[in-house]
Amino acid sequence: MHLVLIGMNHRTAPLDIRERLSLSCGEEGRPLAELIAIPGVDEAFYLNTCNRVEVLAGTGTPDAALAGLRDFVLRHGNLSGEMLERCLYLYRDEAAVRHLFRVTASLDSLVMGEPQILGQVKDAYRASAEANATGAILNRVIHHAFRTAKRVRTETAIAANAVSVSFAAVELAKKIFGDLSGKTCLLVGAGEMSELAARHLLGQGVGRIVIANRTLVRAQELAAALDGQAVGFERLPECLEAADIVIASTGSPGYVVTAEMVGRALHRRRNRLLFLVDIAVPRDVEPAAARIDNVYLYNIDDLQGIVDANLAQRREEARKAEGIIDAEVANYLEWFNTLEVVPTIVSLKEKVDAILAGELERSHAWMQHLQEADRENITILVHAVVNKILHDPITGLKEESQDHAARPYVAALRRLFHLEN
Amino acid sequence: MDILLFRAALSLYLASCLGYLASLFARRVLVAKYAGWGLLAALVVHTLAFGARCLATHQSPLVDVYAALSFFAWVLAAVYLVFQVRTKTRVLGVLVAPAVVILMMAASAGLGGAVALPPILQGHLVSAHIVLAVIGEACLALVGLAGAMYLLQDRLLRKKRATRLIRLLPPLEDLDRINHLGLLWGFPLLTLGVIAGAFWARTVWGTHWPVDPKPAWTLLAWALYGLLLHQRLALGWKGRRMAVGALAAIGVLLAALAATGLLFRSVHTFG
Repeated sequence: MHLVLIGMNHRTAPLDIRERLSLSCGEEGRPLAELIAIPGVDEAFYLNTCNRVEVLAGTGTPDAALAGLRDFVLRHGNLSGEMLERCLYLYRDEAAVRHLFRVTASLDSLVMGEPQILGQVKDAYRASAEANATGAILNRVIHHAFRTAKRVRTETAIAANAVSVSFAAVELAKKIFGDLSGKTCLLVGAGEMSELAARHLLGQGVGRIVIANRTLVRAQELAAALDGQAVGFERLPECLEAADIVIASTGSPGYVVTAEMVGRALHRRRNRLLFLVDIAVPRDVEPAAARIDNVYLYNIDDLQGIVDANLAQRREEARKAEGIIDAEVANYLEWFNTLEVVPTIVSLKEKVDAILAGELERSHAWMQHLQEADRENITILVHAVVNKILHDPITGLKEESQDHAARPYVAALRRLFHLEN
Repeated sequence: MDILLFRAALSLYLASCLGYLASLFARRVLVAKYAGWGLLAALVVHTLAFGARCLATHQSPLVDVYAALSFFAWVLAAVYLVFQVRTKTRVLGVLVAPAVVILMMAASAGLGGAVALPPILQGHLVSAHIVLAVIGEACLALVGLAGAMYLLQDRLLRKKRATRLIRLLPPLEDLDRINHLGLLWGFPLLTLGVIAGAFWARTVWGTHWPVDPKPAWTLLAWALYGLLLHQRLALGWKGRRMAVGALAAIGVLLAALAATGLLFRSVHTFG
């Protein structure tokens, strides 16, 4: 039994090719019937995300399966042979297992450590299982991939910290306020960046969003999209009084929020903590505001600095994660490699058991004069002798299988013992 | 029996303390969670130890300085657990659990020593005085610890560098809530404790205010806490300023303890 993997990802293929392939293959689950029909493919798993299209297959004839899978990609991707060579990667056995483990653990992702991929692999696996496309081989390797991903997540800090400016702002807000539900977020300027940050904050349960913009119409548009409230710039001071998190991103050349404004607002809000995020260039919030007690001001460089540090940490953690992957791949292969000897061991045992049963049956007559207990003891003794004799060849066979050197032994065993193929 | 239970409680406190410290390094909430359960278990066993002592001696267990230390540890652990549930900040346990263990170790020095209580230290008012003051002080001790953490976290956030410590320390607002709750409970309890003490002093010495360094220092701390609570409730002081105030006030309160224990001989020096 073998594993083969074929696919393309964000590093090997441009978006339009990935797009064409994934569209042509259709919805999750649909290509599975087609895949399973490819000669040589016994089990199939199809993964399609915005960054990759991949097929993992269990097969007894890897060359035939790979050729069939290449045809499949060629047909659906509408690619020339040369393009195919450039975009596609093919892995077998150990390399395929390693690739699957790395993908599931988010080491192969565009943003390393992003959490979605595990869910996507799980969904894809469910689709494959529901289409009856998976069997003993794929079930085992994919579950092992889930376990490995979990280990990577809990034993390394690969997914621990924010690696985008807007997420970094959300994390800081959590370190200041703890629970964000019931907090009010004020967007000063209705730009794209502030919208993104506001969406993250909404996702964390922020209670209310207020949007202040120079042109009220744009504020109202965004307010409708975010289910918030739109106000004009002239009401900024009173908005500052009610807000807990302020995200400023106007295109204004001067300061929109002055230190004096912040000071007065803080007094009126009875010193409740205020988190100011200034992602505008040139800056919107007067830097002197940071010196006020209970006010925390972060500008775009501060946030970028945090993101850079977190990215560096993720790369550090990725090294640890690769170690875990290595260990788990070795762990999996130990089982996988014994697969080629398992049928031989099973038929050897069956044959010996049949011989034993037959001989005991024949001895039945002359054992009549013995006590019941003695007859049982003889049966136990014979079984023990046979098992002891078989023990060494069977373990030897399993050991050889770890180095892929079991084939001649399997052949010899089958011939010497007259095992059926 | 009570000694056995006390030792068991001390071991559990120690285990919980190690758990909290390990949670700093293990990066898992689960460890801190188990440490919290350990602390609860220790608290229950400790309560049983007090009960057993009561049954054995037929008097209030608060007879000497060791018992008072043990009681203080008990209250600190109990108050902290209540705060942990209400504010969900487990990291404070890293400071509280070791403090409890140290108090318990100091208390274990006087284990099983039977002290004949002088008659002037008997009566319900004395018990009320000690219980109220100790619970109040435990609340205020937590306020002090939260204040220290607040100032550290505030400093780190202003430095704007992503460090592990920032992630470890609880959010500012949660720490400020501990300040609020602790003052709200601690100050009235301390007040009642002082009043009980004064009444008792009147029945024993005929004056509400015996000449003694401890009440003098405590009164200073009490006034400071009163001022802080007033600023908080009436003027809306929050955050950094309250944290600084809490640290200053706990300093005075500790000075009151130190003054009694080390420098002067007074009616508050036990044994």
